[in-house]
Amino acid sequence: MIKRFLKAVEPLRAGFNRCQSEQLGPFCTFTNYRRIWMKGFLLLGAVSLLPLVVVVLIHYRLLGTSIDSEFNLRMERLTSDARIKITSEIEKRLDIFSFTVKENTYEQLTAPGGLAGILKNLKLGFDGFEDLRVITPAGVQTAYAGPHEVKKTDYSNQDWFKESKKHDVYISALQKDGDAAYMMITAKSFRPGGSFFILGAVLQPEFLTQTLSAYKTDEYTDIFLVNRSGIIQTTSAFYGDIFVKLALALPDNAPGTQTFLDKDDQMGPIIAGSAVISALDAETAFILVAVKQKKAIMSIWKRLQTRLNYFAAFCALGIIVAISVACTFVINTLYRADEHKAETTAMMEQNNRLASIGQLAAGVAHEINNPMALIDQTAGYIKDLLALREQPHKGDKELVENIDLIIDEVERCGGITNQLLGFSRKFDIQIQKINIKEIVSDVLIFHQKEAQYRNIKLTVDVAEDIPEIVTDRGKLQQILMNLVNNAFQAMENGNCLDIRAFNEELNKISITVRDNGCGIAQESLTKIFEPFYTTKEEGMGTGLGLSITYGLVEKLGGGISVVSKENEGTVFTVTLPVNGLKERVNSYENSAG
Amino acid sequence: MKILLVDDEEKFVMMLAKRLRMRKIEADYVSTGQQALEKIKHQRYDIAVLDVKMPKIGGIELKHKLNERVPDLKIIFLTGHASKADYDAAAQEDTLFLSKPVKIENLVKILHQLKNQ
Repeated sequence: MIKRFLKAVEPLRAGFNRCQSEQLGPFCTFTNYRRIWMKGFLLLGAVSLLPLVVVVLIHYRLLGTSIDSEFNLRMERLTSDARIKITSEIEKRLDIFSFTVKENTYEQLTAPGGLAGILKNLKLGFDGFEDLRVITPAGVQTAYAGPHEVKKTDYSNQDWFKESKKHDVYISALQKDGDAAYMMITAKSFRPGGSFFILGAVLQPEFLTQTLSAYKTDEYTDIFLVNRSGIIQTTSAFYGDIFVKLALALPDNAPGTQTFLDKDDQMGPIIAGSAVISALDAETAFILVAVKQKKAIMSIWKRLQTRLNYFAAFCALGIIVAISVACTFVINTLYRADEHKAETTAMMEQNNRLASIGQLAAGVAHEINNPMALIDQTAGYIKDLLALREQPHKGDKELVENIDLIIDEVERCGGITNQLLGFSRKFDIQIQKINIKEIVSDVLIFHQKEAQYRNIKLTVDVAEDIPEIVTDRGKLQQILMNLVNNAFQAMENGNCLDIRAFNEELNKISITVRDNGCGIAQESLTKIFEPFYTTKEEGMGTGLGLSITYGLVEKLGGGISVVSKENEGTVFTVTLPVNGLKERVNSYENSAG
Repeated sequence: MKILLVDDEEKFVMMLAKRLRMRKIEADYVSTGQQALEKIKHQRYDIAVLDVKMPKIGGIELKHKLNERVPDLKIIFLTGHASKADYDAAAQEDTLFLSKPVKIENLVKILHQLKNQ
């Protein structure tokens, strides 16, 4: 299960993060995949996240505006409702007072017990009436009913009395009387003969407070009355007790309900509403003020904001993950393609280099072959003359020996040129069916003695089911011989040599020659197949062994690769086609037949 | 046995002819294909030993021309330098192919074997 999962996500692993091979570096189209990944990620991220951010910001703004608008509407409604209610309460009292003064004459009112009866009825119907008094236009009280024994009092200097004379019915602002506060309500009535009298009453303001308390829905809301001068008339939770000057600038005393935004140091942003109270088509001294702290709706606002933030964060995370996965996948694919291309290019370059070196070597060999052949024939002719013709030097051993020396050296040169030609030429392929086990044994026969002497452990493991291959026996023998020779040279006494043969690929067999000798330095690995490249001491190696091996393997239609680590050992792998040369065998057998 | 050696390396072919003559083989030599074609008008040879790469008339073309005139003339190619194309063409001819330098004893043996086939 875990393996399956790992296999499924394999393409998503950032393989390009691993360091690139130094050998392949120059052949890669791109060098810094992390930077490409980062560029792609940032570009896609910016393109995808920008609209999200813009949408969220627009949403924030819309939300803010709609919340402010909702807040405003609520405040307007609250102020309006409270105004209607307060107006109604005041109007009821003014109405009854007006009715009382119209239904009773001055004489009835001033008759003993007249006012007391009316006060009793008023108290039964409405809260707040404390007493009743009849006042002459000169401000002199002529009758009184109530808790205090006040007689013949003069009100001519009282502001409320001056206002009373101007209006049919009148309700005053809050009046101060020691610690107490009260309002005056008055009604004017004309007597026969054109004079008039005023009926007045002290009205306790509690009914106003009680009426407004119904509109204080929460701790963030305050609603109260002020007079035209901004003096608080009913206790305010936010701005203080009665007779305190309101620390809030109200709009002009325009009729109707008005709302406005303000900011308070302690309460933060607030929204306030104000309405002038008018009763019986006349303005009273009161202005209704309602104040709500914005905190009240901030919780709703915060909840919406949090949801929006979560949504935006979730979307952003999704986008980032998707972009990250997509970028990694694409850059990985690009990296693999580039790596593959670089490997192919590197291999092609090496093959081209080897091929051109091979051609050069072959050209040199060809050009030397003709003069060598002439030297050979001339020396042979001199030898023939000495041996076959009658002359004074016939049988001169020293001369013959020297000529043989020339012929031997020419033969040696011929051997070298043939080797060089062998590197590039496809001559002389003698094809037959080969049993791998036999050929490996044949090769090792030459090394048995040395292995015993040097205590080198030889292991041969040829798979039982390995097919016979159709190839050139001599060349395969030489290939194996060269590889085993090299291994023996690389190994110390007591090391191990391991030869394996198997056919993992269809129609191909592989032979590995593994030793745990000194290994090959990394910088030499790419050059070991080049002719005349040797790491041995001068005079100890020609540098042709592996280049010839390479040429031979190519001739047989196969491939050779090497893996090596210094001081750990080397593995050469030769891969050959099983039936690659079969057609040529058939033609060979036919022609032989 | 009478053989004709054709090679543009004149000194080599002269030396080879001398050595073959010492071994009782009648060997004539020429250095161009044209001379070889002239030679066979007047002489009869058992075997012709041809270089593959020669100016004007190459070994393979020469082989065809020689066999046109003398169908039973046997041919051996002996070359010091042949391109792959030359080799492939020679391989098509079903002709014995020797490369320089060649040991005189081997050449003599091959010539005798071929003569007796």
